[in-house]
Amino acid sequence: MFRAVSGALTLMFFAGAVSAHASEQGFVLLLPTEVYIAAGGATVALTVALLAVMPGGVAGAVFRPLPLAVALPRPRHILSLVATAVLLWLIWRGLSGPRDPMLNPLSLSVWVVLWIALVSLQGLIGDFWRWINPWSGLSALVARITGRRAPLRYPRALGHWPGVASFLAFAGFLLADPAPADPARLAVAVAVYWTLHMVGVLLFGAAWLLRVEGITLLMRSYARMGLLGRARGRLALGLTGWQVLARPMPSLSLAVLMLVLLGSGSFDGLNETFLWMGWLGLNPLEFPGRSAVIGPNLLGLLLTNLGLIAVFAICLWLGARLAGERAGMGLLIRRYAPTLLPIALAYHIAHYLTSFLLDGQYVLGWLSETLGAGHVHVTAGFLNSPGSVRLIWMTQAGVVVAGHVIALLLAHANAIRAGQSTRRAALAQAPLALFMVGYTVFGLWLLATPRGA
Amino acid sequence: MTTPTKTATRRGALKTLAGGAAAATLPLWARYTHAQSAEPIRIGFQQHRTGIGAAYGRWYGRATEAAVELINADGGINGRPIEIIAEDDGTDPKRGAEVVEKFANQHGCDVGFGTLFSHVVIGSAPRAGELKLPYFVVSEGTHVSSGMLNRYTLQPGITDVRSQVIAMAPFITDMLGKKVTMIFPDYGFGYDHRDALAPAIEAQGGEVLAKIAIPPSETSFTKYFPKIPRDTEVLYHVMVGPAVLTFVKELGEFFGGQGPELFGFIDSLEAVAIDSPGLEFLEGSHFWEGMCRHQQPDESAHETFYREAVGVDARGASVNDPADVSTYGHMFGCWETLHVIKAGMEAAGYRGPQDRAALIEAVEAMTDMPLSRAHPQGAKRFNGKTHQVFGHQYISQVQNGTLTRVHTTAIEDSLYPDMVDYTTQAL
Repeated sequence: MFRAVSGALTLMFFAGAVSAHASEQGFVLLLPTEVYIAAGGATVALTVALLAVMPGGVAGAVFRPLPLAVALPRPRHILSLVATAVLLWLIWRGLSGPRDPMLNPLSLSVWVVLWIALVSLQGLIGDFWRWINPWSGLSALVARITGRRAPLRYPRALGHWPGVASFLAFAGFLLADPAPADPARLAVAVAVYWTLHMVGVLLFGAAWLLRVEGITLLMRSYARMGLLGRARGRLALGLTGWQVLARPMPSLSLAVLMLVLLGSGSFDGLNETFLWMGWLGLNPLEFPGRSAVIGPNLLGLLLTNLGLIAVFAICLWLGARLAGERAGMGLLIRRYAPTLLPIALAYHIAHYLTSFLLDGQYVLGWLSETLGAGHVHVTAGFLNSPGSVRLIWMTQAGVVVAGHVIALLLAHANAIRAGQSTRRAALAQAPLALFMVGYTVFGLWLLATPRGA
Repeated sequence: MTTPTKTATRRGALKTLAGGAAAATLPLWARYTHAQSAEPIRIGFQQHRTGIGAAYGRWYGRATEAAVELINADGGINGRPIEIIAEDDGTDPKRGAEVVEKFANQHGCDVGFGTLFSHVVIGSAPRAGELKLPYFVVSEGTHVSSGMLNRYTLQPGITDVRSQVIAMAPFITDMLGKKVTMIFPDYGFGYDHRDALAPAIEAQGGEVLAKIAIPPSETSFTKYFPKIPRDTEVLYHVMVGPAVLTFVKELGEFFGGQGPELFGFIDSLEAVAIDSPGLEFLEGSHFWEGMCRHQQPDESAHETFYREAVGVDARGASVNDPADVSTYGHMFGCWETLHVIKAGMEAAGYRGPQDRAALIEAVEAMTDMPLSRAHPQGAKRFNGKTHQVFGHQYISQVQNGTLTRVHTTAIEDSLYPDMVDYTTQAL
């Protein structure tokens, strides 16, 4: 009898003795995060109040860019060709290199360098993806050699919707695949993804990249957050978000993609929490592994995105009613969706900050070993000390709050620009402002709450 | 060295000894070339690289690396170097089974090794049994000796929780108090402690006054403390997970230093500095330790050697970063298991996968393993029938922020009746 009982008892014996960053989380739980979360929410609420009483032009003024006396650099296909070569080499290394994802350059490049670092830098600085994407160079080269343009025309009626699907497929792989970091598995996924879109670009030209390829759409969306951008044909510098005001409104499908960026990022945080596991009926201290949550995570990803779009639309509809505005829902979503980009970017940076600090060391380690500069000792010491954990948490929280403040400023400037008076703009935005205060609290809670996966 | 007693042939043993002696006199480069084959011995390392086990996986990796470096520098196994093939299992039982399959069918591994989390062991072991791949786990769970696994799964490098708990009980009742209250997480891990401790305490003439189960998702504990009976002399706690620091802090605030004696398992605070702010209340409390994290005055030369080889300082932290505290109480299991694999392969005259069954028999034949460079945690006794090793357990008290060993249990203290005889299963 003991055998049977013991089997059940020991089933999960060690599981949960420590989670990935248990000590870090342990110290986060010791912080007075409720106070910090309240302070963050209050900061955003105060911004709302200030905007309601300040002259209408103020929000727009802070986003006015400064033209730089530098010509806009032209896209260099050679960099893209180099990126293609590097990508193909990485795929080969994924198939033939070390099986350990922390030692394999493909896993490190995709998840640490591209997904964490380059996406953040693209959002913080500006559009360099146009030079280093692994498709446009090869497409230009083929066009030059054959002397022919892409044979097919992209059906414009499809808009960016295929891109939304493409990004969701990527997010699904990130969040629901059992082993997205496994080098060989990742190599196959990257090879399929790259080939599929390469064929698309060769057949349909650049339109494919700009409307169908999910990563490029994400990168171009976040480029709107960059300090550097284009204004009147010149390179210009402005406060994060200035390009949202300087650029034309996105199409409805692109606006939806921007919402999906935020929704997917939010679910990326939510799916690790004790709360989510409780909903799934899983014990967070004995997480059964990603294999056990493929279905729930895919469903969660879709529902979070649908829920976010619905709540956002309701806030806009309510705001329009309060302000007596007659604009249609499509126009409102197109007008305000880009103002959520700073929140999505801020959450991306905050969510991945600890991973970056830890896994970034493996990237350095790989570089160092490859260049013959010796072994790099990877340390998690900064996650074991209350002082550094507090600093990291406050940095994450600061980034999240800053993202929301910028989002509010942008939304307000957008409303003013749409011809509303300060008072009307404030009224129109009251529900959206409430949404953003709530999202601030939610984002900070995601950083503070215990996680089990 | 381990002691082969049963199945290893005399000729095989002599051959190994002669080979070993000859190898020792040769220069390093020649040791590999004299062997029948300089092909490496491939050891599949099932590593928790990602998922909830990643913090452990990192240190299991370091202990493994250091042991392999040492063994290879000494001539490898039967003159062949060890090659580690690490596969991430994502701390996921389903992937664990896939990883075992890859070891056997794709990477041509001779054995699988290194799994820590019990649910991954339990998910992987059946596949190892089907593929007849010797599978050496380092998981501390009682699942090996309970009989729920198979003949190809062994745990020769780390003791199991049941033996740990049984060995602790006499110290608790003799030194701390006979009236014990348990606080444990309300799932398998906690039940394992609950069910092993209560009979052991009662056998010592003690009494478990209350068993307080805390829901696994709980992050605030003060409301549970009034349930602790007033006449409790010892509070036995095995809380785990991210909220464990909060638990300790709230416990300290509740009792204000006036409460019962505290006895815990270092599992709660593996990889956490014991002198961290917020943990002051642990001063004076006792912990079980698999291996003494803080260097003791009488530390053996073997353990000192082990510390240096793995790159751990006198406080159990990385020599590169004193804040990077290791999983010192567990990771020795990797080091010792690799040495057992080496001894087993040498005793079996292991040449390749065709000798896997002979390797199992050679390990099953092992009994006493003296304190040595191969076994720096202490002497051990392997039970070939249950595939589980037994050893000394250490009880430390937090004194001035340092874990100071106050008691070492005898191997006999940790023994319990066999629950299985794997040797009766077919190979």
